[in-house]
Amino acid sequence: MKTSGRRSSSSGRAAPGNSLGRAGLVLFVLMALLPILFSLGYAAAYSTGTIGLLSDGFTWEHWAAVGRRGELWSSFGLSLYIAFVTVVLTVSLALVLALYLRRPLGYGALSYIIYFPLALPATVAAFLVFQLFSGAGYASRILIRLGLIDGIDQFPGLVHDAFGIGIILAHLGLAVPFFILLFVEIYNTEKVAALAQVAQTLGARRRDVLYRVTVPILLTRCFTNIILLFIAVLGSYEIPLLLGRQAPQMVSVLTMRKYAMFDIAQKPEAFIVALLYTVLVLVLILVAFRKGRTAYGA
Amino acid sequence: MEPRTGTFTRRRLRPAVAALVAALCLFPFLYLLILSLVQEWSFPDVLPEVLSLDLWARVLGGPTALGGSFLLSLAISVGVATASTGAGYVTGKYIAYHPRRQVLLFLAYVPFIMSPVILGTCLMYLYIKADLTGSVLGVMLAQTMFAYGFSIVFFSAFWNTELRALEDLVYTLGGSPYQAYRRVLLPMSKGMLLICFFQTFLISWFQYGLTILIGAGKVQTLPVKVYEYIGEANIYYAALASCLLVLPPALLLWANKRFVFKQV
Repeated sequence: MKTSGRRSSSSGRAAPGNSLGRAGLVLFVLMALLPILFSLGYAAAYSTGTIGLLSDGFTWEHWAAVGRRGELWSSFGLSLYIAFVTVVLTVSLALVLALYLRRPLGYGALSYIIYFPLALPATVAAFLVFQLFSGAGYASRILIRLGLIDGIDQFPGLVHDAFGIGIILAHLGLAVPFFILLFVEIYNTEKVAALAQVAQTLGARRRDVLYRVTVPILLTRCFTNIILLFIAVLGSYEIPLLLGRQAPQMVSVLTMRKYAMFDIAQKPEAFIVALLYTVLVLVLILVAFRKGRTAYGA
Repeated sequence: MEPRTGTFTRRRLRPAVAALVAALCLFPFLYLLILSLVQEWSFPDVLPEVLSLDLWARVLGGPTALGGSFLLSLAISVGVATASTGAGYVTGKYIAYHPRRQVLLFLAYVPFIMSPVILGTCLMYLYIKADLTGSVLGVMLAQTMFAYGFSIVFFSAFWNTELRALEDLVYTLGGSPYQAYRRVLLPMSKGMLLICFFQTFLISWFQYGLTILIGAGKVQTLPVKVYEYIGEANIYYAALASCLLVLPPALLLWANKRFVFKQV
């Protein structure tokens, strides 16, 4: 989650309590950054045949083979498509609901109930979507009872489908409540109601207030969260593992499958997928950082 | 101005939409609970034929694999949350006041935002060499790496000029770093420490991919159990395991809802 509070400027001078913090940073470097750096270096070396059981010296052959096969591109294509659709639907739905239900979200029972979906892990969300929208799922039972379909074969495939509808539904179930709460929080902390009031006093119509004041403030303030959601969906594992097709697979599932295969010739390809994903994520974090700094006026 | 009829319709519709959203939020929990009580539910019946507390009684009545998984998950999550919150608290402070905090913060985001499975795949070589695969310690270390990144990002936004000024005041008045933490900083950070503990607890509590990868299937946490039951087509046990996975954080979230979005 993205932080919403403004940070102070710092002088960078040493304080007596700094040694503990310095030790913490060293710990973080030793425990997280160095292993990650080493692992990515290992993955790069493995993917170019420099190390590993199949090592025959440096070669781009594995990269060329992955590029030729197309499995990698369809996997990235699917992941990017699912992440993009999820983000667009999540932000749109959450924005509409947060603005329309602002009052019930602030005071009523809904102000409590809306927090419950935050307790759902991806594992359970995937299980629920499978139970609800598979051929013999609950939605199918209801449609049969209503006489709208006669059997499982007439139920539209929403799980293991070509368009990843089940995967998108599961992600929406997890992300929409969070973004509703985030928009409501930003609306309150940024005093959007007061700004809207000022705009109306100056002669703006309700539509102008919505599209020129309210929505731009909300979207600008949560831009980093939107990028983080995109990255999270792009690399999600549990949901596409249960609800996705065998081919193409989302990047995390593909990486894990290629890594865990008995055929060790597939391992370099697992590392290639991991490296390409890492580069993509680092670029996205950089974009989020730069945009975030602009949004906060830093 | 909009037509009065439109406004009237919108106002009348609002409670219905609110009720629908509330129902959608509660439905998953209700459905899981019912599914965990089902003994028989033939297709295409909309309601189950037989409900029973047998599964729950079996799990709560004595030592079972599911009960063991619950306790193991709890122990791992508490350990990960304690370590990452404590370490993130001091590291976040150092980074927040550092002249190059943007670069350091960017680095803190890397483990926090990367796919645990993809990063875990690359990390496996190190874990195998360190003989940490298939062990609880290995799973905890791997999860802590991700939770620690989150904790740093979380706390780097917490430390600000006011806290810095208060800390400086303690030193000006002759206080030691220990006294500054003990008397000023820790009491002021109590709420944030709790939130961070809760969030990092959830990061660990919900983790499946990394656990199955580093734990090599031997560390049977609750999410691992859920997938195991789904794989066996044992949906009633999967629902029961899901209930155990979901109910504690749901109750905690509900109890602490006012904290969730404070500076997060």
